[in-house]
Amino acid sequence: MSIFEYNGSAVVAMVGKNCFAIASDRRLGVQLQTIATDFQRISKIHDHLFIGLSGLATDVQTLYQRLVFRHKLYQLREERDMKPETFASLVSAILYEKRFGPYLCQPVIAGLGDDNKPFICTMDSIGAKELAKDFVVSGTASESLYGACEAMFKPDMEAEELFETISQALLSSVDRDCLSGWGGHVYVVTPDEIKEKILKGRMD
Amino acid sequence: MKLDTSGFETTMPVIGFGSNSEMLDGVSSVPSFDLPRTTDFDGFQKKSVEMVKPAKGTTTLAFIFKEGVMVAADSRASMGGYISSQSVKKIIEINPYMLGTMAGGAADCQFWHRNLGIKCRLHELANKRRISVSGASKLLANMLYSYRGMGLSVGTMIAGWDETGPGLYYVDNEGGRLKGDRFSVGSGSPYAYGVLDSGYKFDMSIEEASELARRSIYHATFRDGASGGVASVYHVGPQGWTKLSGDDVGELHYHYYPVAPATAEHVMEEAA
Repeated sequence: MSIFEYNGSAVVAMVGKNCFAIASDRRLGVQLQTIATDFQRISKIHDHLFIGLSGLATDVQTLYQRLVFRHKLYQLREERDMKPETFASLVSAILYEKRFGPYLCQPVIAGLGDDNKPFICTMDSIGAKELAKDFVVSGTASESLYGACEAMFKPDMEAEELFETISQALLSSVDRDCLSGWGGHVYVVTPDEIKEKILKGRMD
Repeated sequence: MKLDTSGFETTMPVIGFGSNSEMLDGVSSVPSFDLPRTTDFDGFQKKSVEMVKPAKGTTTLAFIFKEGVMVAADSRASMGGYISSQSVKKIIEINPYMLGTMAGGAADCQFWHRNLGIKCRLHELANKRRISVSGASKLLANMLYSYRGMGLSVGTMIAGWDETGPGLYYVDNEGGRLKGDRFSVGSGSPYAYGVLDSGYKFDMSIEEASELARRSIYHATFRDGASGGVASVYHVGPQGWTKLSGDDVGELHYHYYPVAPATAEHVMEEAA
């Protein structure tokens, strides 16, 4: 198993009508052994910007701390929150700085930009941005996630339907992966509120 | 290229799979397989062994107690990180009074258990009495020993009831054969041993023993990524084996650890 599969992870983000949803699994493992079932993979940067990080857990935590630090500095200097597109470029630059000794994570960025237009993108571990209009996935269960999202996604879903769709896609994909699952964590973000839900999944 | 297969020959009459003998159907001795014709035989063998990936990602367990033998297993098949199936039968019915468990390569276990079943039936017909668990496990161990080093992956337990009472043997692809009271095989076995060893008593009823077996498999599926699916529990008694339960492990979790409903508001209750 490769180093990206050492801890196991699954992250997915989907676009809806003036809203987005980002979801992850909750398992932290050491190869096949499960250590924890409440690991935080998705973190809030500001009210309309979330980042989910899959891959090696130590890099997930360190990279998150660095990004929060950079964003706080930006807030102090510019006196406003970062736009999602700008943040994505920041993450890409930080990852490429370590081109020859990279952070072993694949981030998924989801946010609401100008006019509350949802923005999602994913990157590989050295910062290659991949923008998408519908959904992005990452982690050990990514191949299953691609299939499930492709089948279940519809454009312009409202928040309730988006929550159902992303939850089903996540749970059915991690049920085909030994290294991720053990519950789910979903954030559905609209211009007015953030809804956070824990999913009851198979614990095997 | 004719390879030297004298290592396969035994003192018994060797009848290969493809030969047409009227007397027997070719299973009275070690079955012989065609070898591939390649220029790099060792390299080819090495690649095919890696392809089979003997990872033994599973949890199986068996133990002897007052009322017989309890056998339990999960039902997940994994290929590296991918779950290829959640509904694999890992407890193989060799004959109505003997069970074998599967850990390792599925094809290897299925084939050799069926082969063992054939040998046991032939023994019954030739000797007019059932084969003992000790004898059956010895037959299997000897066959696996002759294929030692060739990349078979079999970690099995033979559980049964014969004239001497309950019997349990562990047999693996190295040719090892161990007699014992409690075994667990597979990547989830450390977790299953933890629950099994702390809850085990010889004087258990069938219900207590089956609950212990089911709980051990459940805990192993929770902690081990390569185990999951359905926890099957079988009991072997003097009349043969019976399947006691087959519970989906996902539902078992919430049965053992129900999600406490969050208290939204406090309700005015009548004083008891």
